[in-house]
Amino acid sequence: MSISADTALAASDIGERKPLTSGHLPGESSMWFFIIGDLLIFGVYFISYMIYRGQNQELFLQSQQHLNQGVGAINTIVLLTSSLFVALGTQAARDGKKSDAYRLWALALALGAAFPLLKMIEWIPKIGAGLTAGKNLFFTYYYMMTGLHLCHVLLGLVIMGFVMRNLRASTQPNIKFVETGAMYWHMVDLLWLVLFALFYLMR
Amino acid sequence: MSGSITADGQYTTQQGTPWYKNKKLDQLICFWSVPFFYSLFGLVFVPLSWMMPPRSPASAMPQIVEFMQSPKLLIACTILTLAVGLSAVGNAVYMCQMKRMSVSPVFRFAFMAGAMTGAIVGCLFPMFCFGLGAFRSGYDPEILAMLYDFGYLSFIGCMGCFFLNWSCLGLSILLDTNNTLPKWLGYYTLWQSVSELVIAPVWIAKSGPFAWDGLMSFWLAMVIYVPWQMIVYICVYRAIKSQPESELDNAHLMPAANYA
Repeated sequence: MSISADTALAASDIGERKPLTSGHLPGESSMWFFIIGDLLIFGVYFISYMIYRGQNQELFLQSQQHLNQGVGAINTIVLLTSSLFVALGTQAARDGKKSDAYRLWALALALGAAFPLLKMIEWIPKIGAGLTAGKNLFFTYYYMMTGLHLCHVLLGLVIMGFVMRNLRASTQPNIKFVETGAMYWHMVDLLWLVLFALFYLMR
Repeated sequence: MSGSITADGQYTTQQGTPWYKNKKLDQLICFWSVPFFYSLFGLVFVPLSWMMPPRSPASAMPQIVEFMQSPKLLIACTILTLAVGLSAVGNAVYMCQMKRMSVSPVFRFAFMAGAMTGAIVGCLFPMFCFGLGAFRSGYDPEILAMLYDFGYLSFIGCMGCFFLNWSCLGLSILLDTNNTLPKWLGYYTLWQSVSELVIAPVWIAKSGPFAWDGLMSFWLAMVIYVPWQMIVYICVYRAIKSQPESELDNAHLMPAANYA
């Protein structure tokens, strides 16, 4: 027996909505493979960072002072808010509210697009001041890890674009695809949280 | 006759066809050259010449000179000179399957360009550099040191070419609606291509994890690369086996004797 969304909403406070997707796993299973693997790979990279940090504590601590915690914190808020809009947008898509979903994803994209700009604001003065990747091991790690993450963010923005196109163009959006894009963006956000903690906060 | 001509003029092989009449023989020959190629290279690079794992970029001059003029390096370079062309054959295996994918041909042409430049820069150049040291005696130590740097930096630092070609392969797999190769392989291929980017700092680091013998730029990259290389060829083999004969590029060709 299937229940309409209205009846379901009326039925309980929690509002058990019947999802528009089939199956128990949100998004494509291959994206889960990618997410878990990517987290593993970054995890190993972070562990190697910690090992070298342990061997060169003075150098790393001194170099970390040059990082701009304020911009890092703003980046964190930007990505977290973007993820929030992605989650709300995905839920709206599941509820069949196409235009709401599109608008929420657009907001998420706008916020996400601020990240690379903020990165450039951070990096360019540093590079100008001679704090390049070749300066010392800390900075090599810093630029490589944040650079790798930035590549993930840029790819995420492209994926968001495709999700938005799917939401706007088709009468029945591909929920699996929307969820897949959302999952990827959440992974990117999670990676940033760890990066922020390891490079900016851990002193 | 081991095959028959169907109504639409296709030649199909029947059960019990001898291996030399297999329509996919071309792909299979190319495929089987790969384990041969890698085994040979493994022997040549590791136990024979100790080129691999990479020696330190911060090695002292006498050690560099001794390595560059060792007779084992001479044998290794001889074998490499003769065998490096097999890389082209190995890459052809990928491309036959990429052709089946529902993506723009741009991907496989870019793949081909990347693979070719990568093989030249990543295999031929180091072979020339180490070969110069091995085949020609009498170079100054400084020149040998430069050739040593040049060889290793080419070998490991040519990541840009491979970043391109593996990205093309990975994207093709992900965008392919024919499911020629599995989607998870597309993601793994993208990891492989991005791990090439982590190799970039070898140009500026002479020691530590980002040197050409370092944890990040070499060892962790190998942890990603080695299983991937084996897995991708296993998946390609399966794809070759499952490819319908009517889809083969040589499907329309048939021995003239069949018309008799």
